[in-house]
Amino acid sequence: MVIRALAAIAVAVSIAAVTVWASVGVRPAEAIPAFARQYDMQCNACHTRPPRLNRFGEQFHMMGFQIPSAARPQGIVGSIKEDGPLKTLIDSLALRIVGGLFEYSESPRETEVKFEPPHEVELFIAGPITPDLSLYVELEYEPKAVKFSRDRGYFETEHEFGLGKEAFFMLSMGRLLGAIGAPTMEMGGQTMVGRHGGFTMHGPMLMAGKIDPNTNFSYATNRQMLEATELEVEKEPGEQHGEVHRLPVVPYAFASKFFGLFKNRNEGEPQLVTDQVMYNTTGAPGADFHAMINDVVLAQVGFLRENKGFNAYGALRYDLLDRGELTFNVSALLNWGFGVVRSPDPEEHERPGGTRLDRLRYGIAANLKWKALDVYGAFIVDRLYGLPGELRSDFDVSAAGLTLEVDYLIHEQVMLSGRVDQLWAGGLKDQKMDATVVSFQAKYYPWQNIAFFVRDSVNLRKFHEDNPLRSWKNQLFVGIDWDF
Amino acid sequence: MRTKPFACLTIAVGVLLLGLWIAQPPATRANGEKDDEKGGHAHVPAPFEYADAHMPLSLWTDQATIARGKEIYAVRCAVCHGDTGDGKGPAGVALPLKPSDFRDKAGVAEMRDNYWIWRVSEGGQVEPFKGKGSAMPPWKGELSVQDRWAVMAYQHTFSGHQGPHVPWEHPESVIVGRDIYAMACVACHGVEGRGDGSVGPTLSPRRAPQPRDFTTGEFKFRSTPSGQLPTTADLFRTVTEGVRSSGGAMTIGLRGHRIMPSFRHMPEEQRLEVIEYVKSLNRAFWERQEIKTVNVPAPPPVTAERLARGKQLYADAGCLACHGERGRGDGPSAPTLKDSRELPIAATDLTKPDRFKNGARPEDIYRTLVTGLAGTPMPSYADSLEPDQAWDLAYYTLSLSNNRRRTAETMR
Repeated sequence: MVIRALAAIAVAVSIAAVTVWASVGVRPAEAIPAFARQYDMQCNACHTRPPRLNRFGEQFHMMGFQIPSAARPQGIVGSIKEDGPLKTLIDSLALRIVGGLFEYSESPRETEVKFEPPHEVELFIAGPITPDLSLYVELEYEPKAVKFSRDRGYFETEHEFGLGKEAFFMLSMGRLLGAIGAPTMEMGGQTMVGRHGGFTMHGPMLMAGKIDPNTNFSYATNRQMLEATELEVEKEPGEQHGEVHRLPVVPYAFASKFFGLFKNRNEGEPQLVTDQVMYNTTGAPGADFHAMINDVVLAQVGFLRENKGFNAYGALRYDLLDRGELTFNVSALLNWGFGVVRSPDPEEHERPGGTRLDRLRYGIAANLKWKALDVYGAFIVDRLYGLPGELRSDFDVSAAGLTLEVDYLIHEQVMLSGRVDQLWAGGLKDQKMDATVVSFQAKYYPWQNIAFFVRDSVNLRKFHEDNPLRSWKNQLFVGIDWDF
Repeated sequence: MRTKPFACLTIAVGVLLLGLWIAQPPATRANGEKDDEKGGHAHVPAPFEYADAHMPLSLWTDQATIARGKEIYAVRCAVCHGDTGDGKGPAGVALPLKPSDFRDKAGVAEMRDNYWIWRVSEGGQVEPFKGKGSAMPPWKGELSVQDRWAVMAYQHTFSGHQGPHVPWEHPESVIVGRDIYAMACVACHGVEGRGDGSVGPTLSPRRAPQPRDFTTGEFKFRSTPSGQLPTTADLFRTVTEGVRSSGGAMTIGLRGHRIMPSFRHMPEEQRLEVIEYVKSLNRAFWERQEIKTVNVPAPPPVTAERLARGKQLYADAGCLACHGERGRGDGPSAPTLKDSRELPIAATDLTKPDRFKNGARPEDIYRTLVTGLAGTPMPSYADSLEPDQAWDLAYYTLSLSNNRRRTAETMR
């Protein structure tokens, strides 16, 4: 059985790789990542391995996608003058293809092997407009997006094109604060608050638009080595609409964690227990202010829309250690979600009720990097407020999640990753179920911007056919992550 | 209902920021206030011709030197700077740019020695001091370097500081550079400049190149002879151009392959500030007696004969042992090459000049041949090649490029 599965994987990988290669028609001269091209840099200068950022990459992001202390004078105007409009345009664009080529999933009653097309094609438009203002826009095409149809009231699979995970501008506010009296320093074309040798602040930077305020946290949820798996919806024979068959494997620490909640009332869209909320969302309208203070403390505050409510949050990262190839930082997060979810109807739990709930989220995270080792984890607790009295005996208002990941660069071109996700779920007591998943991945980078990966996730809890969180035992994916 | 305040707040913040941004309120200049506080004596970086002029450490406290400086000071400086160094000499009172007060401990501490010798040598004849109306005479024509150092040693005594006037005694003199370093360099080069930042081990794991350790004397890209420290201009060139990678997995389609970014957009003054900080991490920059740079003569014309001679030299000098017969970095010795840290190192693929770490212009290749690349198996051919032969070899190296058109333009 195992040999057959491995043989099938090998054949599938070969065919799929050749097919993708041939169909996309890659030519080296045309495949160039935007930032790498803008700055004539190798991917690995900013990424431990794409897509995860290293410390320089974090700094690059924090400075508004510019080489720290070396913002181009006049921004895009300077670029057009120096490089011409066409090159400036091309240098601002990048494409990412990510997803599976092949999937093998196993449960006690069903084993499935199938080819899986890449599930995301993303076009990025990114770059500085002025030394103080940058733009980042992600357009996304999903050939098999699973979406909740608000018109029809159920999940369905359809292709989708639109604004992707994030689309925002980032503004360095040093100049503005200087105008109202703050001491400032000119650092490589950007205006920073502070005084040389005294208090310094890189930024503050304002990130506004459709954002996910995660990059500067110790456990940065974006750019994970282990991608989230896909939500699966199935239609029973004779049924008009699909049911959620399998929930994705995501960093549970940042998942919504509660069973039985709804995003809204009229459409009745459920808030799935694995939906990423606040952090690691698919982006939501909001504004985020962050600043690095005295090169050791990263402060972040902001507000972010979620469903029909909104979040106010603050995060603090303290870089405790930076010595001899060893760095260590810890982060704390505090978030209050005002009316961000809707409770179930007290009488009929399958329908949304009339009450919107507030959510308190708090937690800690840490990241240690030592030589080729990168360890990071987060423990996040959620608690709901405002639950109707009739539901109190049926509903658990507390939940927690733990995610711990280890990446190890075993060879220049091979990154091994392992992650444990633990969910202590809350929500309706007759539905809620904890979950523990361990995932392993080997990612091979023949080039710095193209990777093939084999990833296996194992459900360590008891199989439970009726619960999509645990309706599987093992999932194996072979996929591609391709940036150009 | 709850979304309305959110939307209103977003719009209000957006409009406010847009308005402020369009208005472009002026920002204060780096050290701008300091310049005013010090009567126009902000300590800008010394130009290249003075940047490496570091005063020998022993002279700052050498009593004979100080005595000699006192004599010169009394005759030439006291009239403006005052007998006690307070900047209130009789001739200085009416000057538009007031003479420096050497008793100002903080002001003197911020002043680097190469700035000091530059000021003494050039006086008020150079910018930015000329524009401020400085009346300071240039002393380089009248005083020897030893005498100028002697004056500086005596002026230094007014500040009350005991010991040599160097950055590790006065960290405030390189504080601007330190802040830039913390922001832009520390991720790779580490807090103490030992090349042990967290990025290096994943950039090219367990092989060369690794980020430079500034505390050792090993610098690859120099215009100085083998075994010597680079000049400030060499460091400036590296910071400006960045460093390209010549080995390991590449990024498909990327044209330049820099592993160290180009900081060419950083203002020149700040690039010099960060270089002064980097130099302060290595005392050898203050201990070297004399700086020699290799002479790169004007490139001669390229001829078929020159290329033929270069091809012969390529074989005779043993280049093909590492770089291979066709220059692809696949010579018989290539798999065994190691750098001074015993890390495997790739022989440069000479067919791809856009990946040459030390530059791909003919004069860059000439310089590389003559200086070698410290810490790598690439030796200096200064003793074994005549200048004309070095040009032959440089041109032949470029002729191995797989981009003939661009190479022809480069050699033209």
